Amino acid sequence: MDPAERLSSKQKQISISEFFEKNKHFLGFDTLQRSIITAVKEAVDNSLDACEEERILPEINVEIQRMKGDRLRMITQDNGPGIPREDIENVFGKFLLGSRFHAIRQTRGQQGIGITGVVMYSQLTAGSKTKVVSKIAKDSSAVFVELGIDTRRNRATKSGESRDIWLDEETGESVSHGLRIECEMRAKYQRGRQSVHQYLRMTSIVNPHASISLVVRDRDGSVIEEGDWQRTTERLPREVSEIRPHPHGIQLGSLQRMLRESEERKMTSFLRHNFSGVSMRAAREILASAGLAEGRSPKRISADDAQGMVSAFRKVKLLSPPTDCLSPIEDLLIKKGLSKAIDSRFASTITRSPKVTQGNPFQIEVGLVFGGDLSAEGPIEVLRFANRVPLMYQQGGCLLTKALEAVDWKRYGLDHPGGKGIPKGPAAVLIHLASTNVQFTSEAKEAVSDNEEVFEEIRLAMLEVGRGLKGHLKKSSQRKKAREKFELINIILPEISKKSSELLSREEPDLAPIITKIMDAVFCEEELGWDDERKLATCSITIYNYTARARAYTILAKWPESKETKISENALGGNKQANGLWAWRLDTLNPGSATTIHFGVSGLRKGEWSDAEIFYRGNGEVIGATKIDEKLLEELRKSEALEAAESEFEKPKEAISQLKERAEQSEVSQSQSLDEGQTSLFGDFSTKDELEGIE
Amino acid sequence: MTMDRQKTKEEVIDALHGVASEMHDKMLRGNPPTMTLPVRSKSNIGFDKKLGVYKYGKKRTIRDATSLGSARQLLRALHITEFVEGMISDGKTSTLREMYYISEGWGHGKFSSQNESNGVSEDLEIVTKCMREDFGLRPEEDGARIIGNVTFEERNRKGDWMRINCRDDVGDSGYGVPYNVEPEKLRLVEEDIDFVMAIETGGMFDRLVENGFDEEARCALVHLKGQPARSTRRIMRRMSDQWNKPIMVFADCDPWSFRIYASIAYGAIKTAHISEYLATKEATYLGITADDILAYDLPSDDLTKQDLNALNAELSDPRFATGWWQEQIQLMQEIGKKAEQQSLAKYGLDFVTDTYLPEKLGAMGITY
Repeated sequence: MDPAERLSSKQKQISISEFFEKNKHFLGFDTLQRSIITAVKEAVDNSLDACEEERILPEINVEIQRMKGDRLRMITQDNGPGIPREDIENVFGKFLLGSRFHAIRQTRGQQGIGITGVVMYSQLTAGSKTKVVSKIAKDSSAVFVELGIDTRRNRATKSGESRDIWLDEETGESVSHGLRIECEMRAKYQRGRQSVHQYLRMTSIVNPHASISLVVRDRDGSVIEEGDWQRTTERLPREVSEIRPHPHGIQLGSLQRMLRESEERKMTSFLRHNFSGVSMRAAREILASAGLAEGRSPKRISADDAQGMVSAFRKVKLLSPPTDCLSPIEDLLIKKGLSKAIDSRFASTITRSPKVTQGNPFQIEVGLVFGGDLSAEGPIEVLRFANRVPLMYQQGGCLLTKALEAVDWKRYGLDHPGGKGIPKGPAAVLIHLASTNVQFTSEAKEAVSDNEEVFEEIRLAMLEVGRGLKGHLKKSSQRKKAREKFELINIILPEISKKSSELLSREEPDLAPIITKIMDAVFCEEELGWDDERKLATCSITIYNYTARARAYTILAKWPESKETKISENALGGNKQANGLWAWRLDTLNPGSATTIHFGVSGLRKGEWSDAEIFYRGNGEVIGATKIDEKLLEELRKSEALEAAESEFEKPKEAISQLKERAEQSEVSQSQSLDEGQTSLFGDFSTKDELEGIE
Repeated sequence: MTMDRQKTKEEVIDALHGVASEMHDKMLRGNPPTMTLPVRSKSNIGFDKKLGVYKYGKKRTIRDATSLGSARQLLRALHITEFVEGMISDGKTSTLREMYYISEGWGHGKFSSQNESNGVSEDLEIVTKCMREDFGLRPEEDGARIIGNVTFEERNRKGDWMRINCRDDVGDSGYGVPYNVEPEKLRLVEEDIDFVMAIETGGMFDRLVENGFDEEARCALVHLKGQPARSTRRIMRRMSDQWNKPIMVFADCDPWSFRIYASIAYGAIKTAHISEYLATKEATYLGITADDILAYDLPSDDLTKQDLNALNAELSDPRFATGWWQEQIQLMQEIGKKAEQQSLAKYGLDFVTDTYLPEKLGAMGITY
């Protein structure tokens, strides 16, 4: 049972404070360390929800001050809409608040106890009142008030209410709208993985539209810990629409309540108007299956008949519930959020399309970062989120963790001893479950309970980011090898030649044929850059032919094609092969020569394009590029043509990533010989004539 | 018998140029430069009947410049060659550590660690069949200490020959063996001893010195300081050759001490290219043996996993292929114990000199 529901039913027998005392473990106030995290969490969640509802970009400041003994003072301030004077008591003083309980949509808080718990905890442990300042835009002044809880009546008590101009302490300017909460409580500030800092850091990752700051001060005013996470996007999360419940997710109790409260006269309209996914045809089938007449009044349905309906819901084919009630973060924003909080080399993110389990829509998002500042020792960091709320406790018992552990990470380049537990290495994985109904293992709401469909979705998402990681690791190791080879032939070999000739007083040998023997391969190197002046993402791809034969290639590059982006400064021309895939046919590359393709992409922001993938068409291997799979490319083109006929645009991403995996034999393009634009790789040691002479 | 193995400056430089020639010749033919080395592992050492020591066999490995690491090694070898040529013509020597620091100026040929510079120097010794003393390269580590009635002449920094008796002219720490013990630096002049006793640990060396064992048993005591330095092995070899004295090795009873003995008697795997100069095949292992642990009921420790692995490796090591060693190693594996030299103190400080050593030496025909 939901804690709030339990509360309302038991209200008559026990006092609120007794209830609080008995249930503080799942209200989040069971230990002194956790209490401060819970208090901050309740305040910040409320701020984020309020800002989102009013379409305001949130700015949230949290301040924690150590006081005498084991007391802390918490101050939170936001730029949200504020709370009208007359609603303040309700918001801060009632356990059972509102609309959230009937509406089905994705929201952060689902407990209903929220900030009231903080006011209560403060009163019980520190005997102090909670000071609230609230300013709404249409009022000229702010309300200043102190709140306590009347535990007998389950109601807030106000005191010292006044109205005044609210000046921001930092800027000195008057605040146009916002909310400030200040309270004292028994609590202990602790650093580490389970801390306010970590909670806010995680929150900022999944709320890239929010700017959040934290200052923690010791008794003497010195700063113990601080954090400042600025927003990385101006885009607010999508407004979520409320949906009606889907029959597959309904329990008998809820159905009975809905029947009782229904204003409909006939069962058919009851079903069609109160549920999603129920058509007229489906409604008739359900009633027929449950043996109920279509015209019966919902209010008069017996418990047995209701039970029959629940069974009928499972038998009849129903439409899926709509999924626009979900608000995913979206992979690009996850990438930005992660890179804001974690300094890494590589990020792979994926937003899966929405799925339904037991009538509840849900959506999985996963992000993986690797390298950089991340510690290579010990298990990777797992960042779990449900509806944009960080889950910080009970990691081991959580479905999100279990799904992560079920992947064989060794295959994707992470250390995973025995294929069990959390993999090790310099990586962090973010898992976000967005759902209208997140099922937790307990009322503490810290671990998601088992669910096969959700598990499978996470696993698939993990595989996808895992493939990205594998590709990245393979590429970096190839790149490292290529770099070593370049150093060998460009620096070390000439020195060996010079030194040995000097020692022996002999002529220096010609190095060109030796270089060809050492390398004996075609190399491809790409470099992504950013031209800040022209706001242009740049890419240059260089192909080096270090073999003894002339080579001809078509080079293909994956680029972030969208409505906003455009290829520019592309001197070599080339043509579009598919969405997000461009091709250039190169002139014949003579032995020991290189050529470079330069192009720019406009319409991107700095850092948005971090990984280019290069393919080639032609004979032999090109180190640093992947042979294009022509069959898959053909399929891709066909499906794109179809899609184009239907809709405007789709992401070509998935299909292209498959191209890489299914590299197969492909046709070879012929091209003409031309030396223009090609540079010699052998520096002073070779000319074209010499190279030909070697063979 | 004194072995005149010193090479002339010209021979050394010629040998080093041979290494550079191999590289240059390969490049002239359009191939990556190479350096050919003997395989330096247990599988490639064999007993040389003529010399009576273990030497590298015929297996060769070719280091070629097709990977960055190998190419750097070749370049470093050339830099060392140039450096050594310079030292030889200036009549200078340097320590390996000094060379490591000097390599800072070698650009892409510089060493990233001292181990690396030691390794390349060893490679050059092996390929050129010279010793690093020929190159003017000295090791950092000092040699052994000697106490006993033997007299050496050492050429000091001023170029004068100094006469030193290792009993009368030294303090309790004994005579310090210099890094170069070749005839141009050190002469063996006189002796009045019956044998040489090589001792692994400092504690036991000092015990025997304090108990006056060198005079009582008429021997020279040599402190090995663990795995003996080249010069320590070389001076024992010279004492054995020139004075014809038996070498008795007194060490702990553990697999690592067995290896110390093997390096004295047959040569070490790392220096198998110069075994004929360093190894003293007449050296005898005195103790402590696995038998002794049982016979004297010595306090002992359990063998660790590493110890057991080392013992297993020794069973297949050609240097331990004799029946006696095989028995001792197997016995040790059986009882699963090892013991230190100083465990003899169980029976008092004088037990080693009054009882243990007389009994062990007596069994080998040395009485006093």
